[in-house]
Amino acid sequence: MPKLPALLQPLDPDRDGPFDRLRAAHLLNRAGFGGTPEEIRQAVNDGLEKTVLRLLDFPNAGAEEQSAADGKPDLSSIEGYPRNPRELRAIFAGKTEQERQLIRQRMAAAQREALRATGRWWLARMVDGEYPLQEKLTLFWHGHFTTSARDERSAWLMWRQNELLRRMAAGNFHTFVRQISRDPAMLDYLNNQQNRKQSPNENYARELMELFTLGIGHYTEQDIKEAARAFTGWGHDGDTFVFRREAHDYGPKIFFGRRGNFDGDDVIAIIFQHPQASRHISAKLWAFFAYEDPEPQIVDGLSQVLRENQFELRPLLKTIFTSRAFYSDRAIGTQIKGPVQLVVGTVRALDLELPPVGPLSQMLQQMGQVPFYPPNVKGWPGGRTWINTSTLFVRYNTCVWLAGGGTPTRSSRRGVERLVGSRRATLFDPPTGSDPAEVVDQWIDRLIQRPIAPEKRQILIDALDGRPDRQENVRRVVQLIVSMPEYQLC
Amino acid sequence: MNDHLNTRRQFLQRSLALLAAAGTVPTFLNNTMMALAGPDVDLSRQPSGRDGKILVVVQLSGGNDGLNTVVPYADDAYHRARAGLALTPREVLKINDYLGLHPNLEGLKNLYDDGMMSVIQGVGYPNPNRSHFRSMDIWHTAQPDKEMATSGWLGRYFDNTCEGADPHAGISIGDSLPLSMKGERITPLAFEKPESYRYNGSATDHYKQLNSPITPAEPGIAQAANPELEFLTRTAMDAQVSSDRITRMVRSHVPGVNYPNNELANGLRTIAAMIGGGLETRVYYASLGGFDTHAQQRGRHDNLMRQFADAVSAFWADLRHQGNDDRVLMMTFSEFGRRVAANASGGTDHGAAAPMFLFGKHIEPGILGKHPSLTDLDQGDLKYRVDFRHIYAAILEKWLETPSRDILGGQFKPVPVIKA
Repeated sequence: MPKLPALLQPLDPDRDGPFDRLRAAHLLNRAGFGGTPEEIRQAVNDGLEKTVLRLLDFPNAGAEEQSAADGKPDLSSIEGYPRNPRELRAIFAGKTEQERQLIRQRMAAAQREALRATGRWWLARMVDGEYPLQEKLTLFWHGHFTTSARDERSAWLMWRQNELLRRMAAGNFHTFVRQISRDPAMLDYLNNQQNRKQSPNENYARELMELFTLGIGHYTEQDIKEAARAFTGWGHDGDTFVFRREAHDYGPKIFFGRRGNFDGDDVIAIIFQHPQASRHISAKLWAFFAYEDPEPQIVDGLSQVLRENQFELRPLLKTIFTSRAFYSDRAIGTQIKGPVQLVVGTVRALDLELPPVGPLSQMLQQMGQVPFYPPNVKGWPGGRTWINTSTLFVRYNTCVWLAGGGTPTRSSRRGVERLVGSRRATLFDPPTGSDPAEVVDQWIDRLIQRPIAPEKRQILIDALDGRPDRQENVRRVVQLIVSMPEYQLC
Repeated sequence: MNDHLNTRRQFLQRSLALLAAAGTVPTFLNNTMMALAGPDVDLSRQPSGRDGKILVVVQLSGGNDGLNTVVPYADDAYHRARAGLALTPREVLKINDYLGLHPNLEGLKNLYDDGMMSVIQGVGYPNPNRSHFRSMDIWHTAQPDKEMATSGWLGRYFDNTCEGADPHAGISIGDSLPLSMKGERITPLAFEKPESYRYNGSATDHYKQLNSPITPAEPGIAQAANPELEFLTRTAMDAQVSSDRITRMVRSHVPGVNYPNNELANGLRTIAAMIGGGLETRVYYASLGGFDTHAQQRGRHDNLMRQFADAVSAFWADLRHQGNDDRVLMMTFSEFGRRVAANASGGTDHGAAAPMFLFGKHIEPGILGKHPSLTDLDQGDLKYRVDFRHIYAAILEKWLETPSRDILGGQFKPVPVIKA
């Protein structure tokens, strides 16, 4: 087994310095949604190896399989609703067009309600769930194997897909691609439901290669046409995958220079023999967790790890989270938090209840990331695209609001009363006898988790007005900290 | 003079320190410097803010019923198909012996009579899609054949013509940025109302200091170069200057007329304030929703027509009052028209082609093109006569003075709707 490149070798305390609070906080931010001071302390005590293994130790199972109690969002608004055209026809039988119209409108409203509930349920898992890395990975895969509820209106199918992403989050990537190719929401979103021998639809075949596995430029248009034929007849019945024999093209295909009566799984297997299949996803995972534009050695090294482990994702993830490069200056404090990370992280850091679904969706919408509504098939591009002069205000105002300040937008005022109460009412209470610098340091430590410029620290100390014993002053400082450019980064 | 000014000066000094450190000066920060150097004086000297041409796009969301907006009142087929919904020849505001405007469009009729308005008949695109989302995407991206487009026609216009990262290139009034304004490189501004485009926290002086670059007293670990932090700090400064400017413009705006109080009128009023204030914006975007009139259309549509016409006519009166009416071109559109036949619920279902309006001093006024037949239909819908991309091409080439081919992904001959 060839040696890992230097950048990917495990962090060496003698050479690189210890796994300290700064690095532990970094790990908990990137492999989850941020750690509280207690969780960071625990990670430092446990050390890097043990902490990473603990983060990776979650069942390859959906939420429902993990817990019957809270493993399911509130889908009551669509209970008993038709899941396929046959059931819909049964409901429509004997109804006038006017009555049908009314039913359609009611169903659409119910689907939207169920989707909002599912979105909030997922965010709650990110805040409180037992396995933050599993939820973080689920978010990654949602942006990778995108499906938007704007096109897939069925809340049921969107939730089933969310569960698949959770179940396979750190599973086998090859198996994952075979399964997502059979996922009903995906079959709808990329039109494979309409992909028939008589009229092939290339949408899925194209994105399978361009976005999911290889990246643009590693296949020909002819490869797409042939792959599309291999996926003809792959569809769903409103609930589960079905293979429609009569719609499948059983003829020979030439794909990547090979000839055979390939079906979808054969095409996927051939794709996975392409060197790019391990490189593309490795680079994307690294960019998501560590930093953009990784050094070529990093992509080579990760790609090699993935192949040696037959596309099992856990060894790759472990390599990322233990590597020296992951703890370098290029990584720490250089990632612009996505809106979900920002909101979930702030709710965690301030120990808040998750805001009600109305203002929550509105805030995320204005910041540009609503779960289940990626902007297009490429998912969320992330990085600097999160930020412009309008979204930055929305981000600041949202965080100020979460820290008990003014409303971020006028129409979300309703939700405020329920929100302001933190679970620990004493959160803004300064410990007795503390001096201004101590209070400021404590909050920087909890919220930014990295040292800041001494000049900025002094501005925060001044903002306490010499009275750190007053709750309103502490609250003011907290609101200022979450309105700093430094807080936008993790 | 006062604390506020002092803070501004410090802010400027810090900004300069940052720029010195950063090496490169983004275009917009130069403007920022000008704005900071003299808070209220220098803005008028920016050429594009006072003289540039401006496009205002008004989106009518939900699918406006074109046939009850520009009414073929003299066509028997209209009255046959629209039992209970048809507007009578006595009701409509006649513009010729075949067409009349909806009775609540008095404000538009005045603009029409003044030669400030044109009606382009039967606008649509091939293989019309009757889903709101999909059809709206098609209008926004101008790429009917591309399912998964990631940028809009105006966004690509910004990408092609704007230097640097000017945050004021385009402004949309609304919850989030419409796809049409989204570029691959440029992300225009979007805010619901000017009040939501500013910092809401208290302690604004401290806030401003924390969002300015610091001049390090002594080098330490925290000053290690972090390009993302510099980018965020720069954007925060831009945001503050931009917000101050827009807030000042909106507050000091004294409209020449009374605007009605509705979603579109509020948006257009804000836009008029920014035009009057000399913001260097090329494209503004505003919307009015609620046009999905499947049932009991009459009262709802009547009301929407009134809101639309009153908002648009107030806006133009305001622009005339400002002396900016010859700098602005307005285009209105909806994702589709509605079915020719009324449905059983006193409403209309999703249709296809519909008329489009243009307003301004430089448009060819009057009725352009031929009305689509009300009897030769495509699945019950009007057949389009003009592909909307030919109108976009005209706006891009004749008004915004930029080649349209790359933006529209093909050569679309501009229709003659804008005076040479």
